[in-house]
Amino acid sequence: MEQAQSLWQFMRQESAKLLQQTFEHIGLTFISLLIAILIGLPLGIYITRHKKAAGSVLGLAGVLQTIPSIALLGFMIPLLGIGPLPAITALFLYALLPIIRNTYTGINGVDPLVKEAAVAMGMTRWQLLFRVELVLAFPVIMAGIRTATVINVGVGTLAAYIAAGGLGEFIFGGIALNNTNMILAGAIPAALLAILLDFLLSLVQKMGRRKRQATLWAMPIVLLVFSSFYVLPLGYSSRLLAGFTPEFMGRSDGDIGLRAVYGLKIRTVVISDAVMYKAAYEKKLDVISGYSTDGRLKTYDLLTLDDDRRIFPPYYAAPVIRKEVLERYKDLGPVLNKLAGRINDSVMTELNYKVEHLGQPPEKCARDFLVQQGLYRDPAPAAEGTIRLGSKIFPEQYILLHMYAMLIRGYMGLQVETKTGLGGTKICFTALLNNKIDMYPEYTGTALLAILQSPKEDVQRLGGHRDSVYQYVKRSFDEKYQLTWLDPIGFNNAYALMMRRSQAQQLGIHSISDLTTYLKKNKR
Amino acid sequence: MIEVKNITKTFDGATAVDHVSFTVQEGESFVLLGRSGCGKTTLLKMINRLIEPSSGEIRINGKLTQEGSPEVLRRSIGYVFQNTGLFPHYTIAENIAIVPRLLGWEKEKIRQRTISLMEKLHLPSTYLSSYPHQLSGGQQQRIGLARALAADPPILLMDEPFGALDPITRTSLQKDFKELDELKSKTIILVTHDVQEAFELADRICLMDKGKIVQAGKPEELLFHPADEYVKGFFDDQRFQLEVRMIGPDDYPALVKAFNHFKTRQS
Ligand SMILES: Nc1ncnc2c1ncn2[C@@H]1O[C@H](COP(=O)(O)OP(=O)(O)OP(=O)(O)O)[C@@H](O)[C@H]1O
Ligand SMILES: [Mg+2]
Repeated sequence: MEQAQSLWQFMRQESAKLLQQTFEHIGLTFISLLIAILIGLPLGIYITRHKKAAGSVLGLAGVLQTIPSIALLGFMIPLLGIGPLPAITALFLYALLPIIRNTYTGINGVDPLVKEAAVAMGMTRWQLLFRVELVLAFPVIMAGIRTATVINVGVGTLAAYIAAGGLGEFIFGGIALNNTNMILAGAIPAALLAILLDFLLSLVQKMGRRKRQATLWAMPIVLLVFSSFYVLPLGYSSRLLAGFTPEFMGRSDGDIGLRAVYGLKIRTVVISDAVMYKAAYEKKLDVISGYSTDGRLKTYDLLTLDDDRRIFPPYYAAPVIRKEVLERYKDLGPVLNKLAGRINDSVMTELNYKVEHLGQPPEKCARDFLVQQGLYRDPAPAAEGTIRLGSKIFPEQYILLHMYAMLIRGYMGLQVETKTGLGGTKICFTALLNNKIDMYPEYTGTALLAILQSPKEDVQRLGGHRDSVYQYVKRSFDEKYQLTWLDPIGFNNAYALMMRRSQAQQLGIHSISDLTTYLKKNKR
Repeated sequence: MIEVKNITKTFDGATAVDHVSFTVQEGESFVLLGRSGCGKTTLLKMINRLIEPSSGEIRINGKLTQEGSPEVLRRSIGYVFQNTGLFPHYTIAENIAIVPRLLGWEKEKIRQRTISLMEKLHLPSTYLSSYPHQLSGGQQQRIGLARALAADPPILLMDEPFGALDPITRTSLQKDFKELDELKSKTIILVTHDVQEAFELADRICLMDKGKIVQAGKPEELLFHPADEYVKGFFDDQRFQLEVRMIGPDDYPALVKAFNHFKTRQS
């Protein structure tokens, strides 16, 4: 009950955004539907007249249908960039098959005797089409349009991944922030929208044929009206365009902080981090919110802007380990700390780059690094005992995990059990707390904000200083959970704003303050 | 006047209609008779260009049908299908009004024409706002006829118009059909495989076999002066009834002769 109430509160509080996203969603759905009808209907009619083309047209539309939606959106980016254009194109492609197929089967299903009679009466081809075939095929064609509409509402949520807005912004933001209310605030309206549109269209479908003719004329107008709901989700107009992840948009140490602390006013779109870096590289975006050790920084030659007013809390990585394990194996702490201070930001970026971009197995990457550092040892003679290591699902954590596993085997001869891919923070931490794993690498910022959910005053007092945050987190974990933070590994995988290196240099932008100043000076 | 000259139609090498020629005079009822598959429907459809001939030509009142638009041609020719071919999404009134509407008649003129046709075909005007599926088969066939007649075309093509009906309905519809004044002045080509129906309705009969005309002429010519064994054989089953019908009840000696003839053949 409490959940329901706070969901309602969330929706009230965010009603303006919700309304905008809903309108965007309806707009996206209908623009693509309109185009799909404008192209699919004539194409469907065409292949009833040219049966030889029918196979290939239906086959092609069918293949398009089977491309996973995320992949289709991915393909669109190099061709059409980000924003509404690729989103509408992808939605349009999905809507195409049901419309073509149902137009084709609908018209083919009209009694041939009736068609022949129409011709025998002296109807022209167009009269036959509009007065007989389309009217009789109407329920079948409408069923296709219904299917297409529901598909579009569903796939439309993914538009948020490529900066086209819609209810997906809440859904994916909510997933990233582990905010159930936010997820529901996007998912429930999307589901209701699908149900409502499906219901309304089912009424149209069952309509008597007198009303059908009127509907055929009214449809394009209704479609156009709904299509116009789509207004570009742009806040400010500015020289540069920013793309932030749904998560970043919702965080106080994200977009909100940028506005409050820096006074940054930049035209912003919401986008998935899966495509964000590439979009920046391809000059579709100028500023993005990334992670400072992401391998793609190197892949796409992006520059991290200096956070000169420290709104992004430090995310220094260090192993978090259960105290009792540390006490049982006296050597374990020193062995794990062999890595401390060895990996700085650029080294970590390099390692991530090798795995993400060059496709090296994390294990090889880990071993090469240890060898190069002179830390690698072949497994020591087997000793009694097993250490269970966990990691979240992304490359950086895999690499670290393998390094720790190699160190433990090499220096202590203990058994190592690795549990990779424990989802996000929540799953890893819960596993550690419940004695399912013994240790995993965590980040100070995540611990501060997501796990400890520290009060605002504490966070402000710490002021984003590396050491004070580390000490605070270490102390709190020890008191609250009997967990020990070992020494930081060295790199800071914090949020960061990034730009293309070339552009940043050309505009003389090194820090976020520089960026703010540039935008203020160069208002459009 | 309809002149068919040397008309041939082949479907993928199979000849359905084979060098057929005939002329139908204005106001004449011309019946195409023959067994199933002999090419009657194909021949009929070539007259209003539902099927384009492979070779040969057709003239209506001296004008080649191939010249000019097929739609204009078809609007001037009534066509009745065996299975009505009514539009399921049109009311009875709208079905009847199809051709007049295509021809751009005024609403009031169409309405009056519809009502008068309904009367002539003995259909209650309450049906006008019904849909075809709400009517019986016989009633639907009457509507099919009304639709063909709606724009008062000089020519009427009918493809087994009574073929799908039960015998009693068929007889009553044939009777009404014969009595319809409108039809007296029309040039009619009617397709049937029913010999009795052919003799009932025809001014001239054209007997076909395997896409060719075997004999064309007045009913009595085919009956009493068959061109060959096929024609003779074709009527043998029903020769007695047909002869009685030809002779009429008054010519007693002729009737006796026919009866004796029938008896000798039976034994
Ligand atoms: N569209 C077509 N394609 C191929 N063959 C056809 C086509 N229409 C008719 N035929 C063939 O042409 C021949 C004559 O057919 P048609 O329909 O004219 O016969 P019919 O005399 O009307 O027969 P029925 O009394 O059974 O209606 C048949 O052998 C038929 O199979
Ligand atoms: Mg036939």
